[in-house]
Amino acid sequence: MVRKADLAVVGRDTPRLDGVAKLTGRAAFTDDVRLPGMLHGKIVRSHLPRARIVHIDTSAAARLPGVKAIVTRADAPHLFIGMHQPLFDATVGYIGQEVAAVAALDEATAAEAAALIRVEYEPLPAITDFEAALAEGATPLHPKAPGNIAWEQAELHGDPERAFAESVHVREDVYYTNPSHNCYAEFHVAVADFTGGRKLTVWTPSQTALLYQKALAAGFGLSDGQVRLMTLNTGGGFTGRSVVRPHHFIAALLSRKAARPVRIRAIADEEFLMCRAGGRSRYRFRSGLGRDGRLKVVEADLVFDSGAYVETQMILTRLTHSYLHLLYRVEAVRYRGRLVCTNNLPYYFHHGGGLAQMQFGWGQHVDALARDAGLDPVEFHLLNAVGKGHTTLSGSHFASCGLKECITKATRRAGWGRKYGRLPAYRGIGIGIGAMASGAKGVFRHDTSAAFIKIAEDGTMSLFTGLPDMGQSSHTAMAIIAAEVLGAQPADITVVSGDTDVDPLDVGAFTQRGTFNTGNAVIAAAGDARAQLARVAAERFGVKPAAVVFRDRQVFPKGEPGRAIALRQLVHDTLHSREGRFVMGRGFYNSPKDSGTMAYSFGAQVAEVTVDPETGFVTVERIVAAHDVGRAINPKIVEGQIDGQVFSGMSQALYEELLMEDGQMLNPSRLDYRLPRAFEMPAVEHIIVETNDPYGPFGAKEVGEGPIVCTMQAIANAVANAIGVPVQEMPLTPARVLRALAGRGEVSARTPPAPLRGRRLR
Amino acid sequence: MNRRFIRLTVNGDTHELAVAPQETLVEVLRDRLGLTGTKRGCTSGACGVCTINDETGRALLACLALAVEWDGRAITTIEGVAVDGQLTPLQQAFWECGAVQCGYCTPGLVMTARALLLGNPRADAHAIDEALAGTLCRCTGHIKVKQAVAKAVADLAAAGNGTTGDGPQG
Repeated sequence: MVRKADLAVVGRDTPRLDGVAKLTGRAAFTDDVRLPGMLHGKIVRSHLPRARIVHIDTSAAARLPGVKAIVTRADAPHLFIGMHQPLFDATVGYIGQEVAAVAALDEATAAEAAALIRVEYEPLPAITDFEAALAEGATPLHPKAPGNIAWEQAELHGDPERAFAESVHVREDVYYTNPSHNCYAEFHVAVADFTGGRKLTVWTPSQTALLYQKALAAGFGLSDGQVRLMTLNTGGGFTGRSVVRPHHFIAALLSRKAARPVRIRAIADEEFLMCRAGGRSRYRFRSGLGRDGRLKVVEADLVFDSGAYVETQMILTRLTHSYLHLLYRVEAVRYRGRLVCTNNLPYYFHHGGGLAQMQFGWGQHVDALARDAGLDPVEFHLLNAVGKGHTTLSGSHFASCGLKECITKATRRAGWGRKYGRLPAYRGIGIGIGAMASGAKGVFRHDTSAAFIKIAEDGTMSLFTGLPDMGQSSHTAMAIIAAEVLGAQPADITVVSGDTDVDPLDVGAFTQRGTFNTGNAVIAAAGDARAQLARVAAERFGVKPAAVVFRDRQVFPKGEPGRAIALRQLVHDTLHSREGRFVMGRGFYNSPKDSGTMAYSFGAQVAEVTVDPETGFVTVERIVAAHDVGRAINPKIVEGQIDGQVFSGMSQALYEELLMEDGQMLNPSRLDYRLPRAFEMPAVEHIIVETNDPYGPFGAKEVGEGPIVCTMQAIANAVANAIGVPVQEMPLTPARVLRALAGRGEVSARTPPAPLRGRRLR
Repeated sequence: MNRRFIRLTVNGDTHELAVAPQETLVEVLRDRLGLTGTKRGCTSGACGVCTINDETGRALLACLALAVEWDGRAITTIEGVAVDGQLTPLQQAFWECGAVQCGYCTPGLVMTARALLLGNPRADAHAIDEALAGTLCRCTGHIKVKQAVAKAVADLAAAGNGTTGDGPQG
């Protein structure tokens, strides 16, 4: 077990290593890539939700000066994005679907040419309401989706019937969440160079170069090594950059045809059309509580609108299923999750990966169940929460667990005891709790991260990793970990990353696997390098290699700091020895389990809100966030991760909604798709709980999505507490809050009209 | 299209350029001058990531400014803020407070905050909130950005220097 006092750099604030580059405009993003002869691509999109393409006339576009290549289905009849979506389909299935594309000397010419491409469609009946798609006799939209169900997962643990029969409180609730957009600062963009058609290089922001590389290779019939992914800096991920998209393939196709590099960059509403975030979803929960207040049984029936194509969205049902018994000790679980085909754009997931959105409903459901039984929700959570050593019904084991500590600390700081049930009218307080896996083996066959490290003669180091940094400061965290092992400072380390020709393999920065998996790989690589140095040092000091201490750029025999030599001296001596050894370390990590992860983070958040009964506008006054992150590798960065997720959770709970009407987006712009502005953010108070996980790097677990799973439910519970009725559909727009206040809180079956825009007057 | 010659001073360097009437400053900076530190965002004035400063230190959105209207004028971009390669107190505060995450909106936020500090060296929390309202940032939730700007105000006051430490540039 690692003691905090023994750590030299882990657990101390280290400003991010790329901070200066990002603050001076020198950090390069994909839109900044300029290649000799680079062309600009523009995509022609369907304006119909479902139609057969009769004919495409590209002749006028081809005649426009400056146009260098045009691609349609004829250029790629067998090219698939993943398993089921052809790059250019013969029948379009959603508004915005790619039909053709053009590359030209500049963006304006490309746009002009795209407008000259004439597409003749034969409209087909479309279904854009996912509940209508499920109805008896609904038009079948996809040959592989009978009843328009593209994927169904059913799970059973224990004996739900018996558990319900033994329950004294049983309730059933239905919740809805609505379509959304990840809204990263950096718009969708890709630069492809496929000149010659033998090696494809793609620059693009990504959370996983590996999976992008594999998908592009499969699509073009190349080997993985023939595809080079360049990720540079990534301007935000939020779960939205884990799946390759049509524009990546189209840029490559145009480049191959024009024999020049091509950039495609979203302009205006394209940013929203190219998005693959969450769709409208329905969550039905039925649960039973025993006489002792213990949660006995959970039944869930979840339905997700997955849009026109289903590829990897089944991760939604896999994750939501196991989540139902992650937080509480339950006897029995019955689960059904379905992905429904519609003529909306393909929906994947927003920040929170489908779990935070489900938690919006599940957290409110258990809150109501507790109140039915006359229990304070906090009392309920503490009574039922899992603890260290618990194994869930599907076999997840918690070697460390600070859930109860988080609940206790967050509620104490928030003043729960003196506020719950005692606040003035229209003021409310609510709690949300959560857990999150550090990694997701089983979603992929392996969950491997690898790392290399080399040490220069002057003691500076280069750390090679395939883990992207899309803002979470993962590269700095990896440098801190390597520095701790080698007795160096993080600033001594240059992190090299973002080029699959150079980087060691890494599944990527999603499913919260970076700190845990890549962190353990870096420990292994740095440990390998240290062992090479320790052998030389041990000889010099006349001790065993295990007794050599590396700390503060010095190396000394354990207990004898007076005999220390500089680390750089040791590196120099190792190189200038008879052996002439250049120190290079290598390592990798993969979860030793067949599936699942070795560690889970836990957390609890308390929200306090005010509801304006006249406008229905919700103001979040304060959030107290307590999170068991195992060990905070870089505490101020951990706080920043919590802040960002509170923001995103609040944003999704109250603001974010893609307003869809018959498959058409009504608000595809940064202005009309609302996010909280700086003045709307409440104070966020952080409580970092360190449980020192035995399998984590220096005890660390994830902090990438653990906080957001708590936020939406905490705010929703606070609103219900403030107005006395729940709002069962997210986001909690003023219109929905007013409907709930008017006693019409029932969930609308269809998307309601555009909500009132909330304005906080000052 | 009829191009027009303009003389534009950027971070102290004067450039003579033939620009099309519809070209914006963000295009001129990025595509003609290679100053890609100014980021291209929504290109419709809603996200704030392309914010730069004019010669009086005021913030402006480079995506909405037509280059032909900036003939004879001077602007400062993120590349012109650091002095002799050293971060200004404002940039230093962003770095130390953890106000930088993905970095895509960071140049716009720094230029927005720089304009605030030049116009209102004693900016309070309300003024900071108001100034930052035009920039969308999903990563930070604005929280550490606000702390960084407040820290810069305090640091500059303590140093007896009521500006951003670099001053408006021609």
